[in-house]
Amino acid sequence: MATTGRTARPRVAVAKFASCDGCQLTILDLEDELLEIVSRFDIVEFPEATSRRSPGPYDIVFVEGSISAPEHIDQIKELRKQARVLVTIGACATAGGIQALRNWADHDAYRAAVYAHPEWIESLATATPVAEHVKVDAELRGCPIDPGQLTELLTAVLVGRRPQIRDEAVCRECKRKGIVCLVVASGEACMGPVTTSGCNALCPTYDRGCYGCFGPRANANAKSWSAGLLKSGRPPEEVRRIFAGFTGYAEPFRSVITELGKAKG
Amino acid sequence: MITTPAPSHAAAARQWFLARADLGALIDGLRDSGRRVIGPTIRENAIVYDEIQSAADLPAGWRDEQAAGRYRLERRADERVFGYTVGPTSWKRFTFPPNLPIASAHRTGSFGFEQPTPDAPPVAFLGVRACEIAALEIQDRVFLGGQFTDEDFRARRAAAFIVAVQCTTSSSTCFCTSMGTGPEVHGGYDILMTEIDEGFVVHAGSPEGAAIVAKLPTRRPSHAEAGAAVDNVESVRTQMGEPLPMAGINERLKLQLDHPRWAMVADRCVECGNCTMSCPTCFCTSVVERSDMEGRRSTTERQWDSCFDVAFAKVAGGDFRSRPRDRYRQWLTHKFSTWFDQFGSSGCVGCGRCITWCPVAIDVREELAAIAPPIAPVIRPVAVEPVAASPGSYSIARVATIRPETEDTSTLTLTDVDPAFLAGRPGQFVMIALPAFPAVPISISRFRANGIDLTIRAVGPTSTALTNLHPGAKVGLRGPLGTFWPVEEAYGRHAVVVAGGVGLSPLHGLVDALVANHDRFESVSLFYGSRTPEDQLFRDDLAAWSTGKAIDVAITVDRAGPEWKGRVGVVTTLFDMISWDCTKVTAFVVGPERMMQASVQGLISKGVPADRICVSMERHMECGIGLCGHCQMGGRFVCKDGPVFRLNELGDLFNREGI
Repeated sequence: MATTGRTARPRVAVAKFASCDGCQLTILDLEDELLEIVSRFDIVEFPEATSRRSPGPYDIVFVEGSISAPEHIDQIKELRKQARVLVTIGACATAGGIQALRNWADHDAYRAAVYAHPEWIESLATATPVAEHVKVDAELRGCPIDPGQLTELLTAVLVGRRPQIRDEAVCRECKRKGIVCLVVASGEACMGPVTTSGCNALCPTYDRGCYGCFGPRANANAKSWSAGLLKSGRPPEEVRRIFAGFTGYAEPFRSVITELGKAKG
Repeated sequence: MITTPAPSHAAAARQWFLARADLGALIDGLRDSGRRVIGPTIRENAIVYDEIQSAADLPAGWRDEQAAGRYRLERRADERVFGYTVGPTSWKRFTFPPNLPIASAHRTGSFGFEQPTPDAPPVAFLGVRACEIAALEIQDRVFLGGQFTDEDFRARRAAAFIVAVQCTTSSSTCFCTSMGTGPEVHGGYDILMTEIDEGFVVHAGSPEGAAIVAKLPTRRPSHAEAGAAVDNVESVRTQMGEPLPMAGINERLKLQLDHPRWAMVADRCVECGNCTMSCPTCFCTSVVERSDMEGRRSTTERQWDSCFDVAFAKVAGGDFRSRPRDRYRQWLTHKFSTWFDQFGSSGCVGCGRCITWCPVAIDVREELAAIAPPIAPVIRPVAVEPVAASPGSYSIARVATIRPETEDTSTLTLTDVDPAFLAGRPGQFVMIALPAFPAVPISISRFRANGIDLTIRAVGPTSTALTNLHPGAKVGLRGPLGTFWPVEEAYGRHAVVVAGGVGLSPLHGLVDALVANHDRFESVSLFYGSRTPEDQLFRDDLAAWSTGKAIDVAITVDRAGPEWKGRVGVVTTLFDMISWDCTKVTAFVVGPERMMQASVQGLISKGVPADRICVSMERHMECGIGLCGHCQMGGRFVCKDGPVFRLNELGDLFNREGI
């Protein structure tokens, strides 16, 4: 079956910035597909998996993590030069991640509170998504990314078509699965209406409101949704926290958080 | 209050009583007949439809409390099994699954596409409500009623045995009575059950249903039990209150495509699409293609999609419905308007799911009322009670003068008229008769201090006889009748009168009123077209208006001799003189129907809102009071509901031949 010539295999690199490595682990967790993937892609750079190193250029670079330290900026620019296609993976790379919450806080105070020798720590005052620094060709959302979307992307690369990654509300997946709406039937907080799908409604399937880890979908009406959450009797600070999750730095969630922060102050 | 009708002998003969404790026998019977039973059960804090093994799975003793954006389960005071309304699931999940493989393809060795054969094992739907049967019937029309059909749906629908249950309670979100789908189940079932205190009154609606019922431990219902079943359903209708005014909703919505409310509701709408997903009739889908990594084998899966999806109307060059307001409008107008054009009915059955399951609590009933409100009678009720209103009684008036207007048209000034006529309003008409001549409707062209003017074209026996009268002659009058020009509503706006030929007659009184109050309007104008200069009415008045400052008069004729120094061309050619903000125009249009159509088209293309264009329609009238049926135009009597209409009231009846 594997008749594709080895030499024709796309050279793939996986790189990381500020992140937990969970998205890289998702690649390694593709147990059923892994052998087929390595037979079709030449994974030449993948620190989470191998100590073997290989310089660019690369056909595809998967980038995990947000830009959080001074050296990251040069590194991502260099990677971009080496990458024919650059794909960001996960909430950190696509939206700044949970660490982007520091973008609303006093960075020096945090650093002093956490580290014994804050002067040894070189970090930027903000954690930002990769797309704020270089051009990104495709992104896989989520914390962590969805294995199905990852294989779909890889398949699309090989077949030569556009990956079928839909940008629709998580609600759509709940409804197709027949999950009863947690907002309407249980009064739960849920980011599903404004969050893009791809997780197959993972949290609502387990009776939890969506955390928004896949980030805002195109045209997300975050303003109306925050108004809806406020109307349900939640104080502004709580609504702010609901938005200020893994992808809070992504617009339009960012504006809601800033707005509700102002209301508090 | 509700009297219990004794069930007719035939109906009673077909009805059976099943004790609540024996409900399990029905489920067993359905399962024994080889059917999977899908019915109500409690899961995730809601009553959903799912596979039922036994009566223990049913939600006995539970009810649902529903409001916009809110659903809660509550204990009932009794152990009724079907004491709830409709939940988040609709039967379309089983007739039209959310994910369905529709094709597979391969190019390993050979090249080909395969279509799976529909696989629809026998199933029984337990607890189908009236609105849900209506929804299944809508699906029948959508999927099976046209040239191309959905064979998977056909198989699933045919495999479904329907156990309908009458609603004996309603939610605040229910509006089946407005959509004409409930609460009573009228057909479309194999077995129908009505729950009463002690159990169920059961009725078979098909031979298959009768076969199942025959095996149940039933007995004949008592007179009281059969009566209670009827009362229980009847009480739901009362519970739901007044139905919403849905008459003409198709046309009403079509006239409101530019309503500002679309943008307002889009500001609230989060476009999650939950309304469309919960709707029992929404049928939009997309296909997802999945393949192995080489693209040698693939499957195509159809998934429920929603017109609220940002990519739903996208093509390579852009998005046809790029704004949220476009998408909301698409959904609402499809459901309540264009669905009629495509499938012969509304797409809404009034189940209320889109209201309950909207996380931001948008209520379509409120949106419909705001965007396309029921069309009020054009004009406020007539200020004056007509005299001699019944078809046979007349009030006598005297002809004071007769003034020829054109070769065939004269104006009669009547005096000694009943004061009611003097209190009439421009736009109204009278029925006028002479002994031996049947009554004809004639517009009041002018209100005078002690009489009224009627401008009459001699086209039939009565009108000819009237124009041949002499001063002092007596005539019989009934009126004033019909609706009138809403002059006050044009205050502060540009009042534009467009008249064609003798159409100036019903407008003359209006022009008098506009001129008398000209400082209340932004501007007042008259565009008047006639075939030839000789066909002009009221030439003295036209001259006076033209020289005065109260009104701008523009006149044209279709054709004229060399002595004519004015404009030549149809009346719409005068519209190039319009320089105002046309959203601030109120227009009044009368003339031959073709002239009115062209004028209205011209005004709308300049931006005059449809509800600010008033027209006076002409139809055959015999009685003038909506009893003879001659002047019917769609759902309206021109004599009683008109003759003055706002254009939006007429919808697409205006401009349509053969109405």
